[in-house]
Amino acid sequence: MSATPFADRARIDAFDKVRGATAYAADVPLPGMLHAILVPSRVAKGHLATLPVEDAMRVPGVVRVLTPDDFPPPPEPVRFPNADAPPTLHREIAFRGQPVALVVAETLEAAMEGAEHVVPTYEEQTFAATKRSALAVREEARPTVFGDAEAALARANATVDVEYESPTQHHNPIELISTTAVWAEGRLTIYEGTQFASGLKEVVARILRIDPGIVDVKSPTVGGAFGQKGWVQQQTAIVARAAMLTGRPVKLVTPRGQIFHLAKFRPNSTHRIRLGADADGRMIAAHYVSDQQQSRGGTFPSNYHAGPSRLYGIQNYYGGAVDYRIDTQPPGHMRAPHEHPACFAFECAVDELAYRIGADPVEFRIANDTRVDPQNGRALSSRYLNECLSRGAQRFGWERRTPEPGSMRASDGSLVGWGVASGTYPALVTATVASLRISADGTTRFVTTHHEFGQGIKTAIAAVLLDGLEIDPTRLDIVLGDTTAAPQQITAGSWGTFSVVPTAALAVERMRAALSELLGGRQVSGNIHQQLAAIRRPYLTVDVSQLGPGQEAAALERLRRGQYAIAGPTFPEFTSMSYIAHFIEVRVEPTTRRIRMPRVVSVADCGRVVSPRTAASQVRGGVIWAFGASLREATEVDPRYGGFLNNDLADYVVPVNADIGEIEVDFINEPDLLANSVGVKGLGEVAMVGASAAIANAIFHATGKRLRELPIRIEHLL
Amino acid sequence: MQPFSYIRPATPQEAVGAFAQAGEGARFIAGGTTLYDLMKLNIERPRHLIDVSAIEGFNRIETDGDRLRFEANAAMSAVATDPVVARDYPVLAESLWKAASQQLRNMATVGGNLLQRTRCMYFRNGAGGIYPCNKREPGSGCAAIGGLDRGQAVLGTSDTCTAVSPGDWPVALVAMDASIEVLGPNGTRSMPVADLYRLPDTTPHVEFTLDPGEMITAIVVPKTLAGRRSTYHKIRDRESYAFALTSAAVALEMNDDRVERARIALGGVATRPWRAPEAEEVLAGQRLTPELALAAGRAAFRDARPGRHNGFKVELGARTIADALRIAADRSRT
Ligand SMILES: Cc1cc2nc3c(=O)[nH]c(=O)nc-3n(C[C@H](O)[C@H](O)[C@H](O)COP(=O)(O)OP(=O)(O)OC[C@H]3O[C@@H](n4cnc5c(N)ncnc54)[C@H](O)[C@@H]3O)c2cc1C
Ligand code: SF4
Repeated sequence: MSATPFADRARIDAFDKVRGATAYAADVPLPGMLHAILVPSRVAKGHLATLPVEDAMRVPGVVRVLTPDDFPPPPEPVRFPNADAPPTLHREIAFRGQPVALVVAETLEAAMEGAEHVVPTYEEQTFAATKRSALAVREEARPTVFGDAEAALARANATVDVEYESPTQHHNPIELISTTAVWAEGRLTIYEGTQFASGLKEVVARILRIDPGIVDVKSPTVGGAFGQKGWVQQQTAIVARAAMLTGRPVKLVTPRGQIFHLAKFRPNSTHRIRLGADADGRMIAAHYVSDQQQSRGGTFPSNYHAGPSRLYGIQNYYGGAVDYRIDTQPPGHMRAPHEHPACFAFECAVDELAYRIGADPVEFRIANDTRVDPQNGRALSSRYLNECLSRGAQRFGWERRTPEPGSMRASDGSLVGWGVASGTYPALVTATVASLRISADGTTRFVTTHHEFGQGIKTAIAAVLLDGLEIDPTRLDIVLGDTTAAPQQITAGSWGTFSVVPTAALAVERMRAALSELLGGRQVSGNIHQQLAAIRRPYLTVDVSQLGPGQEAAALERLRRGQYAIAGPTFPEFTSMSYIAHFIEVRVEPTTRRIRMPRVVSVADCGRVVSPRTAASQVRGGVIWAFGASLREATEVDPRYGGFLNNDLADYVVPVNADIGEIEVDFINEPDLLANSVGVKGLGEVAMVGASAAIANAIFHATGKRLRELPIRIEHLL
Repeated sequence: MQPFSYIRPATPQEAVGAFAQAGEGARFIAGGTTLYDLMKLNIERPRHLIDVSAIEGFNRIETDGDRLRFEANAAMSAVATDPVVARDYPVLAESLWKAASQQLRNMATVGGNLLQRTRCMYFRNGAGGIYPCNKREPGSGCAAIGGLDRGQAVLGTSDTCTAVSPGDWPVALVAMDASIEVLGPNGTRSMPVADLYRLPDTTPHVEFTLDPGEMITAIVVPKTLAGRRSTYHKIRDRESYAFALTSAAVALEMNDDRVERARIALGGVATRPWRAPEAEEVLAGQRLTPELALAAGRAAFRDARPGRHNGFKVELGARTIADALRIAADRSRT
């Protein structure tokens, strides 16, 4: 495969999207569909005393009310592949908002009215609502250690010792959480916006004690994934059970307010970081201990320090992690789940250290480059962070910056601050299979592992197929997220492109070989469809599979069983990471101190860029997420009551268009051919990483104030 | 979800008659942007909806003569973009277009706007008995006091409720000494907009002074030259589509750089649209300097009673007033 840059192409699904024609899981029309609404627990912890359903059953249109009695006794906890399966309906209440019943009715209105008439009574228990509650249980994870951080800190020339905090935050994609289930002819079909159709198939089967072989899952297009839909959601098996019990299709679309207690969320975390630099301005030590809010049984990892440990060539490192187990639903992945809070904290601390020793924040970072993975000494497959920093600095005009905090002003009197930060995210890959069929009738069908959720994976696949094969682009059908078409793997962690693009490239190569064999040297004119028609071949199919570098073949088997089949970022011969540098201007109004972000320059090293348009869009989106995470979003907990208080879009403040200034995106676009044949790494997550630190560093530069707790709000600068 | 009847009367008289006949649980509905929202949250549970939005010619905007008159059904967006309002009364236009979103402003009426209910999170998100709230369930207590009170009021609060009066438009109207025309079972009456709102006192669930079945038919604003030197300055948690953290409606009568008379009302900080005579007095007859503007701002908050997390509103509110005074004063006289 040549390494010439890919052309800029429109999104393959753009036309459908702007026409509203794209079908999401909840859009699937099914005859005889019933509608469902969950009844959430009012208490934060306790036991269901009574659960009367008679009043709800009297509401005209209500067909059935599912209660804990409608589920098989809780099986052995389903730990699959390596996390607890979500509970179904239970009498033990573990958190506010936990579903206690599901009302199924002929209409949505009847289901809602029925749900209001289910009024359980509870035996309440005391609970821990936050990390700081007396009933929180502290649990320490094993630290990552290399070198001797304490000793190096003791001999360092300059040190910082700072603590940063990132709040609880919730995903709020426009698409609400939904499940539609159909039980017909001995098969269970689930339509759901999920990032892991095969995992869902396996887990729901185990929860309901049915054979996974009779379960099909279809995740057509997901309206915003980002980790919220990465693991099996709480409602899925409940809705599936309702379909089995009623024998009719059942659809649940959860109201926005319930999602705050039903879905995964970014846990509140605190990051204490000590850094030391030697007399030459090289960082020699990092001591990083984080803690996070965790549910009683949650398995969301607490190792925030993993990303920053690979950002620079720091030889002495201690990374510790603590969970505080409290009474909440399990936290989980939310875009750049660890790397965003970690690089916020770490890259602010780096900025503080640069200021302490009087170094320019860009030069300081460049001077701390590494060619190897400091964790294990392995070579890096590619690393262009310094190029990101220097190109970004140039595009941003960094040389015009005066370092003194508060030294730059706009004509309207606003304080101007320029901040920089870097980010990194592991380059990961999964075992992947694909099948490519080109037909004489003019159609092409490419079926593969992985899911589309707007990140542009189909557009990237199309770029490879259309570059390598003469086929009709308007009749190209790319099928993803469907367990009836191909075994599915969780699509997350920016490994979608790394996984499917080289697989698509392999399919192209095999297809060309198969075609030339078929033509056997004959000269047949026209595109591939026409060639097939000319030789009276209805279609030609190739099947391929692909593993990550050095990944063992057993991963393909795990893929087929719906288990995790992921590799990286440490491969046998090297470590692979993506990188980014963000340059951000903020303006702080002189009187009322509103903070604005008129200008951003972000330069990413994600290997080769396959789809320039969707890639740039990912970076802009990542920066906007970081803006929201830094200056807007926090889910509030009143410790007296537990649960989340601001559970709607009016009170959970996400950014609006008017908040966002110019975001200029650039790519290094150097193929990483050690990683895979096309040279791609990942982008979706790294896009966000570090941007929050760049914002906070810019605010420091504007005002001289180090604000170490997100979100930064107007009151912090008054 | 609760069954309700629904009718669309053709005239205000019919609407008031229908309300009287419907009795218990009747509500007028206009744009529905507040009422439907509260019904979905199970806070409002009306039994009869009397939809006044179909009343013909009930949305006129009159700008001739010595007053502005807006019939109750005029859309927020229509009043905000009326050329006379936009030119001569920026305080009114800005209070409308800085509220909600364009879609909402197209639906919402200037009459319904006056009767929107608080955005206190414990009020809105607690139906089903999770959070005590005296406004929702009289006598149950107030979760906001001693709780997450960043958004709560610092002026006009009581020991039973600290909820902010959320609207922007009423604040501008109170600054401009506007009044409303009301039609009820006993005929018509008129009252200052300022008198429509009650302090929470010991009965926070009683928010307005309208009698049951009374309908707002129009809003009347006396014309004044001060309109041109006016602004509605709104500070919020994001650049658009949010309620005010602090806001100030300001209109100035100036003689050169001297303030003859200032009208100042505040939003986002008080339990009702809050006229600030203390601030107005500081300015009367004085040269407007940045220091004086801030002193006026501070005077408005002399009696503020902040809670745990909303103390910043006192300083921010004062600076908002100061900035609003500067913006208004900079506007040309003609
Ligand atoms: C997401 C969102 C954001 C918003 N942001 C803002 C904001 O930033 N600033 C702001 O000020 N507002 C904001 N609003 C509130 C909005 O301005 C009000 O919802 C709107 O003005 C209400 O008008 P309406 O015609 O839709 O009223 P309706 O919902 O129809 O009625 C509201 C109330 O008024 C009563 N009523 C209606 N008409 C009459 C009448 N003629 N006589 C007597 N009673 C009547 C109804 O019975 C009801 O109690 C926001 C609303 C939403 C949903
Ligand atoms: S402040 Fe008022 S509205 Fe809010 S919880 Fe207290 S009583 Fe209810």
